Amino acid sequence: GVSGTSVEKNITLDRATRIELSCRLDNKYSHLKSLQVTWKRGNETIRHINKTENSWSIQLRILDNSNLGGYSCTLKGEEETSAMFHLQPKIEGKEKPIVSYEGDTAVMICKSFDYTPIAWTWYMTNGSEQIAVNDSLLADKYVINRLSANVTHLKILKLTKEDDGVYWCEAAFELGKSKGKLKLRVLSLMVPLKPFLAIVAEVVILVTIVFLYEMYSKKKEKLA
Amino acid sequence: PPPANAGRVPGPPDGGWGWVVVFGAFISIGFAYAFPKGIAIFFKEIQDFFGTSYSEIAWVSSIMLATTYGAGPISSILVNRYGSRPVVILGGLLCGIGMVSAAFCTSILQLYICVGFITGFGLALNLQPSVIIIGKYFLKRRPIANGLAMAGSPVMLCTLAPLNQFLFDNFGWRGSFLILGAILLNCCVAGALFRPIGAATAPVKTQATEEGKDALKEEVIKDAMEMSSPMNITMETKTEEEGGKGCCEKVNQYLDFSLFKHRGFLIYLIGNVLMFLGFFAPIVFLAPYAKHIGIDEYSAAFLLSILAIVDMIARPTTGIIANSKWVRPRIQYFFSFSIAFNGACHLLCPLASGYTGLVVYSIFFGLAFGMVCAMLFETLMDLVGAARFTSAVGLVTIAECCTILLGPPIGGTLIDTFGDYKYMFIKCGAVMVLAGTFLFIMNYYNYHTVAKEEKERKAKEEDPKSVRTENEGRNNWNKETAQDGPELEPLREEREGLKKEVNGT
Repeated sequence: GVSGTSVEKNITLDRATRIELSCRLDNKYSHLKSLQVTWKRGNETIRHINKTENSWSIQLRILDNSNLGGYSCTLKGEEETSAMFHLQPKIEGKEKPIVSYEGDTAVMICKSFDYTPIAWTWYMTNGSEQIAVNDSLLADKYVINRLSANVTHLKILKLTKEDDGVYWCEAAFELGKSKGKLKLRVLSLMVPLKPFLAIVAEVVILVTIVFLYEMYSKKKEKLA
Repeated sequence: PPPANAGRVPGPPDGGWGWVVVFGAFISIGFAYAFPKGIAIFFKEIQDFFGTSYSEIAWVSSIMLATTYGAGPISSILVNRYGSRPVVILGGLLCGIGMVSAAFCTSILQLYICVGFITGFGLALNLQPSVIIIGKYFLKRRPIANGLAMAGSPVMLCTLAPLNQFLFDNFGWRGSFLILGAILLNCCVAGALFRPIGAATAPVKTQATEEGKDALKEEVIKDAMEMSSPMNITMETKTEEEGGKGCCEKVNQYLDFSLFKHRGFLIYLIGNVLMFLGFFAPIVFLAPYAKHIGIDEYSAAFLLSILAIVDMIARPTTGIIANSKWVRPRIQYFFSFSIAFNGACHLLCPLASGYTGLVVYSIFFGLAFGMVCAMLFETLMDLVGAARFTSAVGLVTIAECCTILLGPPIGGTLIDTFGDYKYMFIKCGAVMVLAGTFLFIMNYYNYHTVAKEEKERKAKEEDPKSVRTENEGRNNWNKETAQDGPELEPLREEREGLKKEVNGT
């Protein structure tokens, strides 16, 4: 339906394909049929528009990365509306940071939904740069496994504070690349130790109070 | 004035420090039941970390649950020997040690041992004594005390779930286990509150007028022996009093196997073992079922919260109802009714459509679940008597252990085979309705037989020395006479009730 609002739609593709995008008018707007509808990619107008009763469509052949992007369908006349189509697959990392400890191992997993990537690459953020994680160079530090077609697995051994930060897992598809974000937090052992000792102290204090109170009330009973 | 009372055991206080003990039991029981469910939050992360499958991780929970129930008899023996307090404190320490060592585990097998066995065993040492001691402190208000203490389970679950999530987000699973170990040490505080009570603390009671009373008072902890004497196992009592013990007597002194000849105990055992086949599976599968019919994850989790909140309120309320003078003498019927009600809820669940239907189901399920749990131990105490409760609870938990562990996997198999959740609900509902009906009929028979025995006994015996059966005690509840009989029986019944509660929840 077209009614003065912008509609945006994301389409996910993982391989070269032929796709037809069409803009359709609701029946109640059929009196606007005579208006102009243009398909654009960015600022470039697409010429070959197939027009039917109340839809305007274009046929696209998506062969590689250059064909991906946003396509818009604009209806000119009284109202200008547009629909945007984006083509990009989704990769899942982890929203919450993974917490681990110095000297321990951290395991980070990235999953691709529905589509199988050709290859996975891991990146570490160093300042503003992204450095690829090389597991052959530092084999006793990083281990990259592809657990299954859609899942990749980065194991970081012997964690240090420097390993703390943002990691990216990049999935390469025929048509482009997609990234997932993961955060790793490396804590020192002292961090959980403080609450632990606090609670142990609380327990000891409470138990002592209970026993002292009991001795006190027994004494009172004897005297009474 | 000790001399005048030397010959008689004071009745349970039914108040005073007893309420503090209820609070301690609340904490202890709460941890014991809620903790295995609460650590499920960490499983996904641990699974990724060790690279294992989900079922391997789920074993941690199963081992923990199995140990908590299976170690029941050991717990009973220890309580029989040392009383509740040292056992609970030891249990708290074990839990703490278990979880702290789990924080440093490097393999899934070590997790099985630290989290599964050690912590599970510690929780078992927490559970039984907490229930037992309630029976020692309460008689007239025992159902209320039981209901309040059992409410610890849903309250702790509601607290632990968000707490565990918070700990996990901030400290990862290792740090969380470390801190949880410290939190579990609070069970030691609960244990410290369990002041010993009863004849065990009174060394001089040799001026008893009656042998039976004497034995009972002197051996509150070993009352299994005394109680067994009226049940035609006089040898045990005599040898106990004489001090010379054969092997059987010695075993029976710690764990009363003569309970297997006790009609009420057997009825309870069979009915409960059957009930547990269908008791926990619906809770385990409620959230997955909700997701299966298209409800989003958070609303599905909310169903469990509704269940827990209703459960929280239902337990003390049931305790109060069970304590009323109309229900208490017929508490077994009330218990069977609540089991059957539970079963009916499950049978009707497949008819619930959409989220609203499931919310209604959760409310009724929470209500029924709370009712059953609140009375689980109370009814055993009522049947067996406080004296033998310590042993009874241990024996019942180990028997229930098997069906508790079998319930969810059987349900899971049904779901996988038929691809539909409704058969699981039907199976659980049917099993529970059957258990409820069985208990109802058998207890009807039991009440009658017991009343008959009572009449015969009263007719032929004038001597208040002989230890009476539980029935007398039950009938004498409402009589506030200072006779020996009522005093002996309530204690017996109290202990039994404690055992029951330890088993359930």
